[in-house]
Amino acid sequence: MTQSLRPGSREPAFLLAPGLFFLLIAFFFPTLQLLAQSVIAVGSEAGRLTLEHYAKAFSDDFYAGIAFRTFKLSIIITAICLLIGFPLAVAMSRAGRGVRTLLILIIVLPLMTSVVIRTFGWLVILGPGGVLSWTLNALGLIDNSVSLMHTETGIVIAMVQVLLPFLVLTTLGSLNQIPKSLEEAARVMGAGFFRGIRHVTLPMSVPGLASGSVLVFALSISSFITPSLVGGVRLPVVAGSIYQQMTGSFDWGFGAALSVLLLIATLVLIVPYMVLTSRMGGR
Amino acid sequence: MTKATPRAVVWAAIFFIAAVAIYMLVPLLIVVASSLSTSEFLVFPPPGLSLRWYGEILNSDAYLSAGWTSLKLALITVVVSLSLGTPAAIALSRFRFRGRSVISSLFLSPLLLPSLIFAIGLLMVFSRYGDGPSFAGLVIGHTVITLPYVIRTVSANLADLDPHLDEAARIMGARWWQRYFLVILPQCKTGMAAGGFFVFNISFDDAVVALFMRAPNVETLPMRIYSTLEFSPNPSVAAVSTVMIAMTIVLVMLLNRIFGLSKIV
Repeated sequence: MTQSLRPGSREPAFLLAPGLFFLLIAFFFPTLQLLAQSVIAVGSEAGRLTLEHYAKAFSDDFYAGIAFRTFKLSIIITAICLLIGFPLAVAMSRAGRGVRTLLILIIVLPLMTSVVIRTFGWLVILGPGGVLSWTLNALGLIDNSVSLMHTETGIVIAMVQVLLPFLVLTTLGSLNQIPKSLEEAARVMGAGFFRGIRHVTLPMSVPGLASGSVLVFALSISSFITPSLVGGVRLPVVAGSIYQQMTGSFDWGFGAALSVLLLIATLVLIVPYMVLTSRMGGR
Repeated sequence: MTKATPRAVVWAAIFFIAAVAIYMLVPLLIVVASSLSTSEFLVFPPPGLSLRWYGEILNSDAYLSAGWTSLKLALITVVVSLSLGTPAAIALSRFRFRGRSVISSLFLSPLLLPSLIFAIGLLMVFSRYGDGPSFAGLVIGHTVITLPYVIRTVSANLADLDPHLDEAARIMGARWWQRYFLVILPQCKTGMAAGGFFVFNISFDDAVVALFMRAPNVETLPMRIYSTLEFSPNPSVAAVSTVMIAMTIVLVMLLNRIFGLSKIV
């Protein structure tokens, strides 16, 4: 439990000050700088306020295509994460202690490995003459080389592996809050396995599934390392083209405008997420 | 419970779990396998097994200096992030005051904002008001993205402990520094250790902030791996990646030992 303070105690203020000051300078200020940069003109009109960067983002069909691809892929990735993640989380919540620890290791170990390294693994698997191609040949399913590199299927396969742990862990948190007695009660009252899942487990894990999928979607629309390496230049996504604008073409105003649009898309998702999680008691 | 679960469901569950386990682990296993190849190229199956690529990276100045940069960066970030985050976590979990939940959300907000967006802002600030990206910029960027983890682990740790010890120390007339260094901080050490491992791991592995804050003469291992993958992947990258995977396994095992994985995730 927390302790009540004598009136006028400055103790928490002293403890919080260094961290808050740091966040203000190093986190909130850069984010504001990004917003500012997106509405400041460059070139002959330098310094003037302008919406030209946004106009460029909206008028160019090329960027509309990129935005469409990013959203489409993120929806598919989130849906597949839900399909795989929910049964996995249910299995984890019901497994014995040993199996449970093993499963958590299987989920956490990839999560804690650098995204660059996991993507590297997928490049070797999906690439021409890679593991997938070799396995399919060995099984006699195909008799030539296949490659999922530079395909949307390839991006989805790699991204689901990268993001699945976020959905599983969030859902597991919400499953652990379901009293065991509820599921038992359903059984005793004659509900079969699937009815128990459908009418008790699934509805009660909705907060976890919802916040997990919002997290996966938000991470998905803003990731660039995996889509850029697997998809290559032929299949650009929003985050990848922002990286390109910032470090390749140095069009910072435009890069900033694209980032602000991405930020807005993310916030639209995150706000309900925060409401949900705070209703769940906060994590 | 198990008795009522149909046998077919149990078998389906076992099959499903095995499939997911393979899917989750196969990219890591493939990287490890590729690092042992005798071939100059990343071909599968490897024509033969050898450790030559490990010898190669030990003789490569580029990899060694990137490794040294990553290690320095991660260790400094651990120190900075723990020293900013621990006091804040103590304040947030031990005191009730106005605006506490708002401040708590502020500290956790870097977790929710995609690090890509923050990294771009940081790059702009460093280029506009400073000499551009630098090692210090990377430390600052990594501290921001790791601070929430310190807040979470230290708060979780304090929630399990007896707050009356501090009160007792206060009543017994302990000065503030005696209370903090002799009573409160020793109680936080498990949370700080777990937080420190997270911070180290995130900082050592990060490529997003690192790629935007790419400074001349400052290259970390994930940056080097990314640019090698973009242009010419070869087994030496696999060897470096395998060393990083081994470090991650050690960290995950340590976290499991200290905290119990099922508790922190």
